[in-house]
Amino acid sequence: MLELAGITKHYRTRNGVVRAVEDVSFTVPPKGTMALVGESGCGKTTIAKIILQLERPISGTVRFEGADIATMSRAALHAYRRQVAAVFQDPYSSLNPRLRVHRIIAEPILAHERPGRAALDKRIAEVLDIVGLPATAATLYPHEFSGGQRQRIAIARALALQPRLMVLDEPVSALDVSIRAQVLNLLQDIQAEFGLTYLIIAHDLALVEHFSSDVAVIYLGRVAESGPTEPVFANPRHPYTQALLAAVPLPDPDHVLSETAATGEIASALNPPSGCRFHPRCPHVFAPCPATVPPAYPAGAGHHVACHLLKDSPA
Amino acid sequence: MAGAEPLLSVSGLGVFFGGGPDEVQATKDIDFAVYPGERVGIVGESGCGKTVTGLALLGLLPPATTRIVGSAMFEGQNLIGLSRDRLRRVRGRKISMIFQEPMSALDPVFTIGQQIGETIRTHFGASKAQARERAIDALASVGIPSPARVHDSYPHQLSGGMRQRAMIAIALVCEPRLLIADEPTTALDVTIQAQIIDLLLDLSTRNGTALLFITHDLGVIAETCTRMLTMYAGQVVEDAMVDDALVRPLHPYTSGLLRSLPRLSERGTVLPSIAGRVPTLRDMPTGCRFAERCAHRQVGCDQAQSIARIDATHRVRCHRHADFVLPGALTEREAAA
Repeated sequence: MLELAGITKHYRTRNGVVRAVEDVSFTVPPKGTMALVGESGCGKTTIAKIILQLERPISGTVRFEGADIATMSRAALHAYRRQVAAVFQDPYSSLNPRLRVHRIIAEPILAHERPGRAALDKRIAEVLDIVGLPATAATLYPHEFSGGQRQRIAIARALALQPRLMVLDEPVSALDVSIRAQVLNLLQDIQAEFGLTYLIIAHDLALVEHFSSDVAVIYLGRVAESGPTEPVFANPRHPYTQALLAAVPLPDPDHVLSETAATGEIASALNPPSGCRFHPRCPHVFAPCPATVPPAYPAGAGHHVACHLLKDSPA
Repeated sequence: MAGAEPLLSVSGLGVFFGGGPDEVQATKDIDFAVYPGERVGIVGESGCGKTVTGLALLGLLPPATTRIVGSAMFEGQNLIGLSRDRLRRVRGRKISMIFQEPMSALDPVFTIGQQIGETIRTHFGASKAQARERAIDALASVGIPSPARVHDSYPHQLSGGMRQRAMIAIALVCEPRLLIADEPTTALDVTIQAQIIDLLLDLSTRNGTALLFITHDLGVIAETCTRMLTMYAGQVVEDAMVDDALVRPLHPYTSGLLRSLPRLSERGTVLPSIAGRVPTLRDMPTGCRFAERCAHRQVGCDQAQSIARIDATHRVRCHRHADFVLPGALTEREAAA
């Protein structure tokens, strides 16, 4: 459905070049849910922006159903934008506070179509109904809703053009704990009903395991490990994935948190470590790590691990 | 903890905002105790009153718009209504607080060293040279790799994890008896969060510092605390040992929160969610504040609920607690294994 190959994005700043995303490749299967996980600053949001064409990569290609979005005709691009929608983290800033909900949902529709007033109202009532809000919500302003309801409005807006791919950038992390489950369930229901493909960006590993079919673990702009969620989480092979999973605090009396799995600080993308970018924090570091960038070694069906440890012990 | 005197004993604590006819009550009838060296978590959603409770204890709420009732006894004196001078001798010296976002809690125009030095000189009257030495020791004790360099750095020159370590160093330099930590790891990445949790546990064990850990993250509570208070809509609804609360919660809200967490081992299933939303301060129900969202609501839930003691370590604010067995964080299979 969506295929990224060799995506690289650097930003020039006063202090030098920020290597935000480096040679990132992955494939999002149709009707699947691909999760990008990693810590803040690892480049996951930059990748989403490149897919949404809010940023241009300096190299690499993004293909949507086989077509390169960088070389699409204007008409094809217009069609692409209609099929890809996004929901962002903070529904307090992603909804214009001066517009009524009706206008917020109508805007993307009117950018692509010229429906009559009645047809437009009907469509808006439909998408509000899908996200569990009454049709009367259309006459209100965003501030009249709670955080969870605002995120429902953002989801309704994303659904307005009946997209096929939805980019979800931390869709529940700004919401209260007891509301998160409602919104996650809603997203799952919508996906099943309309056959949507999701790309979700998240830092909450438990959420990712619950929600996604495939996962790419990103560290400092590079993919450390990727594959179907189940084997990656059940048998993580990259020391960074292992460290991430070991560091998740669990509400389980018998669980012991491991703080030693990754020591030290996350390096800066301004001056990333040579070779494997994780090597200064890695408990298994050895000779090749600082010298060469590890290729993605296969580790089972669709499972890839960019770690020198796998060179001699593949799947 | 039987026999020992509590370090902090809070009773009937209530915080009102606004004043006059528009006054709203943010917290009501907060009762709890923290024993010396104990690690107590306060868990709840935003707006439930957990931060307000921490700020009220330290007299950090704006006095012009806040009214506080009840008492908080700490080492023989009531913190509520204490004069500013007396409070100043407690704050930073006997009780310290750390916050979620170290970038806004630290002063951007002073170096880390100046900010630690201020605390040391205020409470111990040390000379500048002595303060510097002690500050560098404090930075080293929180695991900062080059403490002398960090001492002379400004907050913006440090990473988020280092800033939080520096804030912990400032909070602990006077070896307080109680540290109030308000979401201290929420802004941090998960591998850095694990390091900070480990540091707090280590310091609390080493110095016998009691910890009052405010967070919305039940996982963080489970990893750090021995006891937890669940707050909902301005009230404590459950007070239990963490292991009991996780496995056998007695309040439907505690159970609902635990069940609604996506878990590392269950995929694709529908998450049990809590319907509805938290009532606002202006239309707080007179009866049980959770009743509207509760699957177990019945006759009697429209009456105000008092918190009942079940045994020596467990209290719950639900008159139906004996009527049902609620699921906790673990499935039956996991609990049996």
